[in-house]
Amino acid sequence: MSDLWRRCLERLESELSAEELHTWLMPLQAREDAIGVQLFAPNPYTLDTVRERYLPRIEVVLGQLAGRDCPVRLEVGSSAPRAARPAVATKSVAVENAAPAPAFPHNLDPHYTFETFVEGKSNQLGKAAAMQVAMNPGRAYNPLLLYGGTGLGKTHLMHAAGNLMRERNAGCKVMYLRSEQFVGAMIEALRTKNMDQFKQRFRSVDALLIDDIQFFAGKDTTQEEFFHTFNALFESKQQIILTCDRYPKEVDKLEPRLKSRLGWGLSVAIEPPDFETRAAILLSKAQDKGVAVSENVAMLLAKRIRSNVRDLEGALNTLAARANFYGKPITTDFAEETLRDLLATHAQAVTVPNIQKITAEYFNVRLQDLLSKRRVRSLARPRQIAMALSKELTEHSLPEIGEAFGGRDHTTVLHACRTIRKLCETDARMRQDWEQLIRVLTG
Amino acid sequence: MIPQLPLALRWPRRQRFEHFHAGANAAALAAVRALAEAPGAPWVYLHGPAGSGRSHLLLAACQAASAAGRRVQYLPLSAMHEHIGALRGVGSSELLAIDDLGVLAGERAAEHALFDLYNQVRAEGGAMLFAADRAPAQLGIGLPDLRSRLGACTQFALKALDDAERRAVLKEQAAARGIGLDEAVLDWLFTRYARDLAALLDLLDRLDQASLAAKRRITVPFLREFLREGSGNA
Repeated sequence: MSDLWRRCLERLESELSAEELHTWLMPLQAREDAIGVQLFAPNPYTLDTVRERYLPRIEVVLGQLAGRDCPVRLEVGSSAPRAARPAVATKSVAVENAAPAPAFPHNLDPHYTFETFVEGKSNQLGKAAAMQVAMNPGRAYNPLLLYGGTGLGKTHLMHAAGNLMRERNAGCKVMYLRSEQFVGAMIEALRTKNMDQFKQRFRSVDALLIDDIQFFAGKDTTQEEFFHTFNALFESKQQIILTCDRYPKEVDKLEPRLKSRLGWGLSVAIEPPDFETRAAILLSKAQDKGVAVSENVAMLLAKRIRSNVRDLEGALNTLAARANFYGKPITTDFAEETLRDLLATHAQAVTVPNIQKITAEYFNVRLQDLLSKRRVRSLARPRQIAMALSKELTEHSLPEIGEAFGGRDHTTVLHACRTIRKLCETDARMRQDWEQLIRVLTG
Repeated sequence: MIPQLPLALRWPRRQRFEHFHAGANAAALAAVRALAEAPGAPWVYLHGPAGSGRSHLLLAACQAASAAGRRVQYLPLSAMHEHIGALRGVGSSELLAIDDLGVLAGERAAEHALFDLYNQVRAEGGAMLFAADRAPAQLGIGLPDLRSRLGACTQFALKALDDAERRAVLKEQAAARGIGLDEAVLDWLFTRYARDLAALLDLLDRLDQASLAAKRRITVPFLREFLREGSGNA
C-alpha cells in the first residue's frame, strides 16, 4: 500500500465512522506516482460513492501530508494484477486468449458428480435421466428439464451431467451458466453491439446448461434471444439442460412458444427428499467434510429439518464448527443442545394454528369454515389434511389435535391421518399438495 | 522522500478480534476468525440482539482479512439508502461482510440482488459473512432461493454479555490502563450512566485522561463532577 495513502487513512480514521471507513475507503487500493495518487475501487458503485462523498476531503488531506498539490485519479481496478485463481491455469488462459476461437469456460464444479449425489425415491428419476443425457448428449432427451424447489439437487445433477460428458470426451464443449449470467451477457452484447459474437458463443457449444430459467420470466428480449439459441442448438442436436423451480407451464410471464419448446424433451420433477434420503445425504456430506456423525445424529437432524438440503448442510456446518471448537464428539445430546437455536427456528413455525391458517390459505377456504362442523367435501378434505399435518409436524397428541379443530374426537383425527396417508400413496395430486404444504410449513 | 511511518494502519481500535469479549460467543468468534483467515472456510451467518457484537465481529473480520492482503468490503445495509444499487455494485471483493440483513427482507428486487451477489461471490471464489437480528428462516425473506442459501451457512446465535460479564470486562480494561475501579464506581456507572459496553469503554478512555490531568483517583464524586462538566458527554 502506498505510504502516503496509509497516512491519509490514519488521518481520516479520526474523522469518519468505522462503518464508513470499512465500507468505502478500506476497499480502495492506492498507487503513488509523480503526478499524485491513483486510487483503485473494486467496483463502480464504490467509485461513485467515494467520488461524491470523500474525494474533496481526501485530496485536502493528501495535499497536507505531501506538502504539495496531490491530485487523485479514481478508477475501477486493482493496483496489482490479481493472482490467478487456482482453478484457472494462467497458461491455458493465455493460450485461449491467443487462439481465434472463443474460450470455453465450462464453469462446472468438479465436486458435483453422480458419485457424490445421494439417490433416493425423490430424485432417482432425475438422476437416471441426467446420466442418460451425459452418455448420449443431444440424442437421449433434448432438452432435459429438471424442476423442483430450491436446494433439492437440481444444480448438482446438472453439473454431474456436464462433468460426465467431459470425462467421457475431453473435447466436449460444455458451458454451464446461471440464468442471470445469460441475461447479463446478452445485455453486455447489446450494449457493445456484439450480438453476433454472443450468438456464436452460445451456439458453438456441445452442451448448454442453464440454471433457474424461472428468472427469465418477464424479460422479453432475453426470452426472444434464448428462444433462438434454443432452436439453433436443438436443430443441430446439441444438448440443452435446464432447471426451473417449478413445472415451466406454471411459470408466469414466460412466452407460450418457449414453454412449448421446453416440453419437447423430458421434464423430470425433483421432489424433496424423504426421511431416509435426508439422513443418507447428511451422512454423505459429513464424510465429505471429515466430520464424525453417527446414524443417530443424522436421524435426529433428518427428522427435524425437512425443508431442503441446504438447511441440512447449514445444520451440519454449525454442528461441526461447535464440536471442533469445544473439542467434543457429536453425540445426539450435543446435537440437541448446540442446535437448539437452529432447530427451534424450524420447530417454531410449525404450530397447529399455523398449520390451520396455511392449509386454509392453500385451499382457499376460510379459517373459520375449516374449524367448523360443516362436512361438505370442499372443507372436509382440507380439514383432514390439516389434521394429518398437525400429527406429522408437531408433538401434539391426537386428543389435543382434535380439541384444536373445534373439539373433535381423537378417533376423527386418527381417521384423517390414515385417509390422507392412503391417498398420498394413490393420488399424485394429493401427494403434491401434501409435500407442497410441508415445504411451506417447514421451509 | 516521504518518511516511513513505523506504525501500521490503525483500524478502529475496539472492533478487532482481540477486543471481542466472547463470553458465550467463543465458538462464533472462532468460526468468523477462520473465515477471515482462510478463504475456503464455510460462510458464516450471525444473528442476535443489538449489542451482541454482530457488527464488531464483521468489522474485525474485515480488518484481519485486509491485513492479510485480501480485498474486503463491509456493507451495513441499514446505513445505505439504496439497497439494490449497493448490492448490484459491490462485486470483486474477496471478503464481503453484509450487516443488518433484515432490512431487505420482503424487498423483492433487493433480495434478488443479494441472491445474484451470493452466486457471483461464490463463483469468484470469494467469501461472505452475514449478520442480522434473526435466523435465516425467521427473517421474512420471500425468495426461497436466497433463504435456502443463507440457511446453508454455519450459523451462530450471538448472546449479549450479561451484567457480570460486562463488569468484568470494564474492570479488566481499567486495570490494563492502570486504573482501579471499585464496586461503588461500577455500581454507579451501571445504574446511572449506561449498560452498553461500547459506551462504557468510551467513557473509560476519557476518564483515564481526565483523572491523569486532575491527578485524582476515579471515585463516584469525581465521576459526578466529570459528567456534570459536560466533558463526559459524547
